[in-house]
Formats: sequence, structure tokens, C-alpha cells
Amino acid sequence: MGPKRIVVVGNGIAGLTASDSLRAAGFDGELTIVGDEHHAPYSRPALSKAALLDSEDMTSHQLPAATHEAHEILGVGAARLDAGKKVLHLDDGTGLPFDGLVIATGSRARRLGAAGNPGNYDGELTLRTLEDALALRRRLAGQPSVVVIGGGALGMEIASGCLAVGCEVTLVSQELPLTNQLGPYLSGVFLAAAVRHGLKLAPSSAAQLRSTGGGPAGGRTVVTLADGSSLEAELVVSAVGDVPNTEWLASSGLLTGGRLEVDTRGRVRPDIIAAGDVAAFPTARGIQRVPLWTSAIEQSKAAALALLGGDGAPALDFKPYFWTEQFGLSLKASGFLPLAGAPDYLDGDPHDGPSLMRWSHREGSGTAVAINKRIPIPKLRRLSEAAPEVASPAA
Amino acid sequence: MKIVLDRPRCEGHGLCEEAAPQLMHLDDDGELVLDIETVDDVLLEPAKAAVRVCPVAALRLA
Repeated sequence: MGPKRIVVVGNGIAGLTASDSLRAAGFDGELTIVGDEHHAPYSRPALSKAALLDSEDMTSHQLPAATHEAHEILGVGAARLDAGKKVLHLDDGTGLPFDGLVIATGSRARRLGAAGNPGNYDGELTLRTLEDALALRRRLAGQPSVVVIGGGALGMEIASGCLAVGCEVTLVSQELPLTNQLGPYLSGVFLAAAVRHGLKLAPSSAAQLRSTGGGPAGGRTVVTLADGSSLEAELVVSAVGDVPNTEWLASSGLLTGGRLEVDTRGRVRPDIIAAGDVAAFPTARGIQRVPLWTSAIEQSKAAALALLGGDGAPALDFKPYFWTEQFGLSLKASGFLPLAGAPDYLDGDPHDGPSLMRWSHREGSGTAVAINKRIPIPKLRRLSEAAPEVASPAA
Repeated sequence: MKIVLDRPRCEGHGLCEEAAPQLMHLDDDGELVLDIETVDDVLLEPAKAAVRVCPVAALRLA
């Protein structure tokens, strides 16, 4: 007997995909989705890319309407889970009993906060939600001077978007940007493009923020760097990682060392699954969160099937896919990142025109990367799995 | 139902092809080709999966 009543907590792409997958697999029982955001699910990756550049109508993030016909409770968060009694308690006091539960509460932006007041400084913008994107767009309309803190993919995309609308932008990053995410070779490619586009770099860390007074809207923010120097800007945006939304599970008994860990089928236990940015799942590189779009979708599909089919459902065969668009470069990568050293296969010159690259990993698999080259993902996946027989020399 | 492609939005990720290779593919230039546009009940689920996986919502069902 499968579950009759399933509650999905979280209305992002993970909750949406899980709901769709449950219906597609034949679940015709009662389906309820709870989400603390007021809107329909949207494409988060688009918020830091095309959506920053959209003209008046911002539409790049919009997804097609859902077809799962679930009962939706939006604008309300989960407060607490009674896993023993199988009841989800909401912020508004409601209790929702369930036979099956999908945990897809995602993560939120980590914030630097002000000196002496961690996590709380009004002048610090982040980019995670639709509201964040709208707020950032409003501020960018005035072409303020900008300091972006964080040299990961998100920080670099934001910096690129700010430069594209005419702002002066300084990026604060301890490591060379994208080194931790992509490795030194591709970091060099993106850094060269970023500098060509006018990005200034402040190689430092541990930024502290304080207002110069006049209120966050009117005033400027002083960013104090680890080396004691400081920067001043009209707008400060941080992109320093994400924090999984697990607080409401603190008393549930489901967390392992503070993490929400699932098995290869996305299960915390047979009647409770978790997927998306909130979940740490087994990958070829260990149990980890992989807070990316296709990761959320693949996890959600596998977990939904396991909630209905148990051990008979296929285990997740996770194959990382990552993309970024910034400074005129569009990168697509299939396989694990970051990448050590230079590619062992290279077709084209990533600094100039379309290119296709491959790195081999010790265990035999590899990572294939395309820059400014349109290539079907199945083809990129095949390339990542098996090295081309003849490697072309670098152009 | 019919699969509708908003070509200017398509970024050529090809995740849709991976979800529903029987319905669409990227050609050698990376342009998406809908091999089947009108989907019956049997093809509706793969069509929905393809529409859902697009991060820029370049596909929809009408």
C-alpha cells in the first residue's frame, strides 16, 4: 500500500518536480504543497543571468504553469515536524497529517551582516529569491557603484550583470574568482574576460560591512577587508554561499550532525524523502549537497519514485551538469568540478571563440566543458564519459 | 496537446532532449528541433518532463 496523503514542503523546482513526478508515476491521492514564497515556482538560475538584463518586463525566470493539481498553501512556512506522529506543523498553527512527506525547503543566502551584528545589515543585498532580484534590478536602475563580495559563480554573474547595465564594479574574493568552483584553468579564462569587461578585483576576504549613515538606501556602505583596507560603494551585494533550511527539522530527529542526509533513493526514511538544495545525498564524491538546478530535478524525480515504489525504484545516478553565463562567456559542464590543471583535450581556444574541452579524472570518468559553443547535453555527457581518441592540440 | 518552442529564449542546454529524446533534439548547430509537436496521451508525460526541465522556460504545452 502506497501513501494516500502526501505533503510537499517547499514550492521551488524540487517541490514542483517531486509533485509532477508523483502524479506521473500514478499517485492520485491527496497532494498538498506548502511554500513560504507567495509565487509559483520560478527558475532561480535565471535570476542572476538573463533576468538582470531583461528590459522592463522581467520574464526570463517564469516557468510554465504546474499541472499536478495539488492543493497549494503558499506564503506559509513549516514550523516543526513531528516525525513520530507524522504531522507537519506550519507557521500559522495548522497541523497537516501525512502518510508521505517530501522535504524540499531549499536553502537561503548566507549573509555577512554588519560588524558585531552577524546576518543582519539592511545595506547588504543578496540574490536568491525573486524579491531579491526585483530589489537588485531597482537599485541597478540608478547605476550605483557596486561591490560584489564572493568570487563564486553567483558573485561573478552578478558582477557581470552590474557591469552590463553600466555600473562600476569591484569584486571581493580571497581566491582568484571561480577557482574553487571550476579550477585554475577555467578561472583564468573567466578572469581574463571579466577584466576585459572592466571588473576590478579586491583579493581579500572576511569583509565587514557598515553604513556611512543616511540609511541603507541613501547612504553608502563601507566594506572593510581582511588586510585592513576598505572599499566604499553605493550598493553591496554578497554571494557567499547558501545555508540549507533545516531549522524547522531541529526537533524531528531526522538530522545527522545538523545535516539532512538521504539514501541513494532520496529517502530519509521510507515515508519521508528530501530533494533539492536542502538535502545531502550520496554522490561519487561522497555525501554532499549539490545546490544546482539539474541536481534538484534529478533528485526529486528519483525520490518521488522511491516514496511510491520503495526499494523497487531506481537509485539516483547523479551526473552533475552546471552552466554559467557571464562576461560574454557561456559555459556548460558535464561532470564533477572543479578541474585540476589544463584540459587533456581541447578543441578551439576558450579565450577566443567556441571551444570544447575535457579533463580526465582518476577513476576513469571525466568532465566535458563547452564554452560559447552550443552542444546537446547528451553529446556533452558522452564526451565526459569517454575521452576522444585523438586529442587536438590547443589552437 | 502541442509543444510550443519560444526560440529566442532557447539557450541550447538540451536538457529537454535528455528528458524526451523521442520528441526533440538539438541539431549540429545546437538549434532545437521538435521532431514531434503534437503529443498524444502516451507522449504527454515525456513532453511535460521536457518542458519542466528547461531552466529558461523556452518550451510550453498549449
